[in-house]
Amino acid sequence: MPDEIVLKTTINGESARLLVPANRSLLDMLREDLGLTGSKHGCDVGDCGACTVLLDGQPRLSCITLAAEADGRAVRTIEGMAEGGLLHPIQEALHRHVGAQCGYCTPGIVMALAPLVDDPDQAVDDETLREVLGANICRCTGYTRILSAAREVLAGGDRQRGRAAGAREPSDGGTA
Amino acid sequence: MLPLPSFSLLAPDRLDDVLAPLGQPGVRLLAGGTDLLPSMKHRLFKPATLLSLSRVPELARIEPTEDGGLRIGAMATLLGVRQDARVRAGWPALASACATVATRTIQAMGTLGGNVMLDTRCLYYNQPAGWRASIGGCLKAEGSVCHVAPRGTGCYAAQSSDTVPSLMLYEAELELLSRRGSRRLALSELFSADGRDGPRIERDELLRAVILPPPGAVVLHRKVRPRGAIDYGMLLVAVRRQGDGGSAVISALGPAPVSVRVEQLGDLAQAAWKASNPLSTHSWSSTWRKHMVRIEVARAVAELTTPRLAIAHG
Ligand SMILES: Cc1cc2nc3c(=O)[nH]c(=O)nc-3n(C[C@H](O)[C@H](O)[C@H](O)COP(=O)(O)OP(=O)(O)OC[C@H]3O[C@@H](n4cnc5c(N)ncnc54)[C@H](O)[C@@H]3O)c2cc1C
Ligand code: SF4
Ligand code: FES
Ligand code: FES
Repeated sequence: MPDEIVLKTTINGESARLLVPANRSLLDMLREDLGLTGSKHGCDVGDCGACTVLLDGQPRLSCITLAAEADGRAVRTIEGMAEGGLLHPIQEALHRHVGAQCGYCTPGIVMALAPLVDDPDQAVDDETLREVLGANICRCTGYTRILSAAREVLAGGDRQRGRAAGAREPSDGGTA
Repeated sequence: MLPLPSFSLLAPDRLDDVLAPLGQPGVRLLAGGTDLLPSMKHRLFKPATLLSLSRVPELARIEPTEDGGLRIGAMATLLGVRQDARVRAGWPALASACATVATRTIQAMGTLGGNVMLDTRCLYYNQPAGWRASIGGCLKAEGSVCHVAPRGTGCYAAQSSDTVPSLMLYEAELELLSRRGSRRLALSELFSADGRDGPRIERDELLRAVILPPPGAVVLHRKVRPRGAIDYGMLLVAVRRQGDGGSAVISALGPAPVSVRVEQLGDLAQAAWKASNPLSTHSWSSTWRKHMVRIEVARAVAELTTPRLAIAHG
């Protein structure tokens, strides 16, 4: 029985073929095997949301997802959010609203909110927004500025990259 | 970093290939993993082989039954169930119960099957390995004493699934499958009296689907938890109106949910309070949790009998 897995996956748009131990979590594969350390270890057991990534476009807690689950699927991490030299609108707004303090929760929060922003047909009421953020623990901000950033992006019709006032180039390769 | 213990992984894409190894020693089913993988990180389980159901699409289907009920595949996610228009219209308390599980991200990962098959929980058990070692473990894992009832020989870890109370009042049945064939089990028959024993299905069986009888039952679900997200319930209550009378299922008190039925709806809160015997399996006082049984059942009854609020959506 296989205790190592060969997986074919796409990570931030690039296809990859990887050999990982069966007990590798998706988070450890990203961080330890691929050096993508933007996704964070918080609790490591599903409580905090710091490890949130997108699997086929949907937020997943990568600490309690097996790496094998990425086989045949597309993974997106915080490192893949900036495109064409521009931050994702939610990153941009979090930056402008000072929605990050220590920043440890921020990659997870971006990954949890990005699908709401990227689906222009989806009307997101405040209750849904609060519920989505309920999956991500932030010990610093008190959420007020995260909420104001998200509300602005969702309400302002500037869901497209680079449209928001003050959009700027990432200085660090896009890692928020 | 909390590494998972080592195991082999099987992820077949055909149901037959799932059934073949099921029941062999050391093989454990993996659905969304949101209960099992954290527990394995805490070394509560060390299965030799994980048998993943995530590549069998037919297990995730939600489809009507011939008699007008609904058959929800075990691998349907809690978010999928909660958002399903048929569930919301016909079995709204199930939709609202799914909406109270953990967080939306976890609801998109966790399945209805995994929720029904959830392991029982206890303050002294669902802890990191080092924490448990510091108190010498307990009867459910590694130890010889129950810290909840030290003079007893039983385990009182609590059934904590959010969907179980409303599913029980909707009279849900489980479709179980093994190489030997398929059978139905009333959900109310699933639970053991001892928190160590786990769900009462055979080792070679899996839960294939949850079957809901045709809609019509008027049910309401309430959850008491410390925060509005993430937390398991310290008390779960579902109430059903039946003519002048009604029933309640109270859970998160012990290994099996408690059911009560009364002829007059007005007597339900008192009857539920009498039947409930919470122990110190939670960090919240059992006296207070018992007190809250009466209050939460009364609140549910009040909501059910106020016509405007009779249908609560998730
Ligand atoms: C932070 C956090 C908070 C949580 N809060 C809640 C909460 O408030 N309420 C709540 O109810 N749950 C909660 N959960 C637990 C869990 O997310 C849900 O219960 C979920 O529905 C479990 O489903 P799963 O698919 O992830 O199950 P898994 O973890 O994959 O499996 C759970 C158990 O069921 C068995 N199993 C799974 N599928 C089948 C099947 N088809 N047939 C037979 N056996 C099967 C597995 O072997 C395992 O023992 C929480 C989890 C986390 C990490
Ligand atoms: S009820 Fe007792 S034996 Fe069971 S898990 Fe809790 S402390 Fe352990
Ligand atoms: S690190 Fe994954 S949820 Fe906390
Ligand atoms: S900014 Fe520090 S935890 Fe959120």
